Amino acid sequence: MISKVVPSTSHPPYIHDWRTSARAVWICTFSLLPIVIWSSIIYGHTAVAVWSVALGTSLIAEAIASGLLRRWTLGDGSAVLTGLLVAATMPPGVPLYIPAVSAAFAILVVKTAFGGLGTNWMNPALGGVAFAYANWPVAMREYVLPSLVSGVDGVSASTPLSFAKGLTGGLDARVMDALRGSAYPLSGIDSTITGFLNDYVFSRLGARLPDGYIDLAIGLKPGTLGESALLAVLAGSVVLMGLRLIKPLIPVAMLTVFAVLARLFGTGLPGESFLGGDALFALSSGGVMFAAFYMASDPVSSPLGRVNSLVYGAAIGALCFIFRRWGTYSEGVVYAILVMNVMTPFIEKGTLSLTRARGRLPSA
Amino acid sequence: MRSGSLQRTANVAVTGSYDRMDQVGRMIRTRGFKHGGVPVPHRVPFKTGPIENAFLPKNAVVMLKDTRDAVEPLPVVYVGQEVRESQLLAKSAGRGSSNVHSPIPGIVRRIDSTMTPGGFESRAILVSLEGSFSVLGKRPERYLWKSLNKADISHIVQEKGIVRISTGEPLAEIIAERASRPGFVLVISALEMDPYRRTEEELLAIRPEDIVDGCAIAARMALPSRILLAVDEHISAGTVEQLQKVIAASELDIVVQPFKRRFPQDMTRQIAEALDIADAGTLFVLEPSTLIALHEAVVANKPHVEQYVYVGGGAIKHPAILKARIGAPIGDLIEECGGFSGHPDTIVIGGPLRGRAAADLDVSVTRTTRAVLALTVEETKSAPERSCVRCGDCITVCPEGLDPHAIFKLLRAGRTADAVASGLALCSLCGSCAYACRSRIPLVQKFDAARRNEELR
Repeated sequence: MISKVVPSTSHPPYIHDWRTSARAVWICTFSLLPIVIWSSIIYGHTAVAVWSVALGTSLIAEAIASGLLRRWTLGDGSAVLTGLLVAATMPPGVPLYIPAVSAAFAILVVKTAFGGLGTNWMNPALGGVAFAYANWPVAMREYVLPSLVSGVDGVSASTPLSFAKGLTGGLDARVMDALRGSAYPLSGIDSTITGFLNDYVFSRLGARLPDGYIDLAIGLKPGTLGESALLAVLAGSVVLMGLRLIKPLIPVAMLTVFAVLARLFGTGLPGESFLGGDALFALSSGGVMFAAFYMASDPVSSPLGRVNSLVYGAAIGALCFIFRRWGTYSEGVVYAILVMNVMTPFIEKGTLSLTRARGRLPSA
Repeated sequence: MRSGSLQRTANVAVTGSYDRMDQVGRMIRTRGFKHGGVPVPHRVPFKTGPIENAFLPKNAVVMLKDTRDAVEPLPVVYVGQEVRESQLLAKSAGRGSSNVHSPIPGIVRRIDSTMTPGGFESRAILVSLEGSFSVLGKRPERYLWKSLNKADISHIVQEKGIVRISTGEPLAEIIAERASRPGFVLVISALEMDPYRRTEEELLAIRPEDIVDGCAIAARMALPSRILLAVDEHISAGTVEQLQKVIAASELDIVVQPFKRRFPQDMTRQIAEALDIADAGTLFVLEPSTLIALHEAVVANKPHVEQYVYVGGGAIKHPAILKARIGAPIGDLIEECGGFSGHPDTIVIGGPLRGRAAADLDVSVTRTTRAVLALTVEETKSAPERSCVRCGDCITVCPEGLDPHAIFKLLRAGRTADAVASGLALCSLCGSCAYACRSRIPLVQKFDAARRNEELR
């Protein structure tokens, strides 16, 4: 041998894109930080406890899973992300064993049992949350008013969405008017900002913003931890889509279909007319935005391809609306995504024949 | 190309700064292939200047085969024999093989089997430097080739062992093949779709006369229906202007066509797609460096013993293009460029996306070595292989419109026939999917191996 090259151990290409699966997960995790911080501010120590218990348990569970699989997987960041996502769907005052057990179930059963990151057929965090809803249906639906609104910790209240669904009296056509009519709590921050906006911006356009939307946007209402910072969720979504880390078609299709259906069929108020639904209220309540950008677009459990993504996103939007409008529980988005997670292989199979027919591929 | 003033103004409005004028003032639209591909906007800065001759190597290892499937040329020298510079070392012995000449004067030390940088077995001849220059040190002779006929030129090209630098196929053989099927487009491709290499573009700037003259020789041999010079959209305006002047002074009608900077624009099928030509088989692609070798063989009677090599990458102190002798170890070239400035992670021969890694610095320059790159970890961005997270990036970037993720899964499940049905045979092994893969799965390697197994069966 005069000279040699390595024929098999290394292979082209020798340069790569900056995105790696681990880096994508870490960026996703860091984009959740504003939500963690803001919810900790408005709910105080109860929120901090839920976040840290879920995170800690999922790290321990992942370490155990690493041992079982004989493969060190803590570095890929998915355990941290799953832990945070499980916590994000919990109400702040929840007993701490619930996030702990849910996170452990998410990591050990939903993810590791099927082979770890990349082979789980269901989003681990959503699997864990569904487990929690099934086991502790009452505790998972006990929401508290942020201490920033009430001034004291642990004042229980129902979420705007379930409150609005439960309204029977009155013939208000708009959700916000109905909530105000029933003396649903409103923060001082909201009335100040809404008043300012109405005086200086909307009055010139001949419009009026009802009280309450600002509370929804900054989380000053009862709800899950992930719902508490809608603006941070939107900022995070811009980061994730700008860096092309998530498939943008899924959340876009999902939110579009959901908003259109909400506009058509409304929230379920007695005085509501067809085509008069409040799409803005529907989008900013019940954690739809958070689920759209952080859960529905999870690459592992969603289908590949443009058409598939559109079908998948649209189906989640439609299912989510059906579950929320006519179902009993307001957290319909969790089940909508889980159902479509299971349907993913079916969607991919269905469109495969379609792409074969159009493309250059020989039909098989 | 559009004519008519109305359409011309419309064109300017639509494509804006991407438009260029050819020598008669027609608008030329920047072209690109339609789907997939990896954008490579970033180019490593490079100080242009005259191209230096590399030092003569003490030992030259000359590979006999330049392609995997070629018939190996037969050595016509024996161990211990004294050879002159440019003396014939091995004679073409059939399809795909070409004459091999000694790059340096010296003594034949060994004739031995070895692994080429391309990753296949070939015999190689080791020549140790001794004695004096005879041909290349002198001023080049200049023959007037215009009086030669097709057969004469073809004979010279074959005699001098000129190969197509991008593929290693003997030029005389592929031109003869083309000439038998008229009505093709000759594409002079100066496209180098990676952040590093820029030899072809530099040659266009430094030796435009020789390239156009070489193009005229190739055209005399093969009679193309039209000639296109494919350049990068970001080529300097000065270079294009100079080229236009040289082309105008020649008898040829060469259209300078800018292409979008998107990998793998330099592959034949992608060039055809960008030009809206349905059959990629009607394109005949040659590089400016091949035309220079052709020109030097016909005009200066010089065999293919030198090669323009771009030496660069983040770990090289002073990246440069060197005119190196075939058989020189790449370590010599790196040393001549100031050596390493950082810690090289991988040394790549050929190009960062489709090249091959060199095991050590003794790997020798061949007639298909276009670049030697020493890449740092920051450049390779290598990461541990993980399982597929189904991000779909490989589908987005595949220029052939395939689903690399599905093909990979089918191969892993052992369903090779289904993988072929999903388009494995259409894969050009360009490497876009493996470049984009977030889990760093060696997709190209898997596809290449599967295809080879399939062919063997």
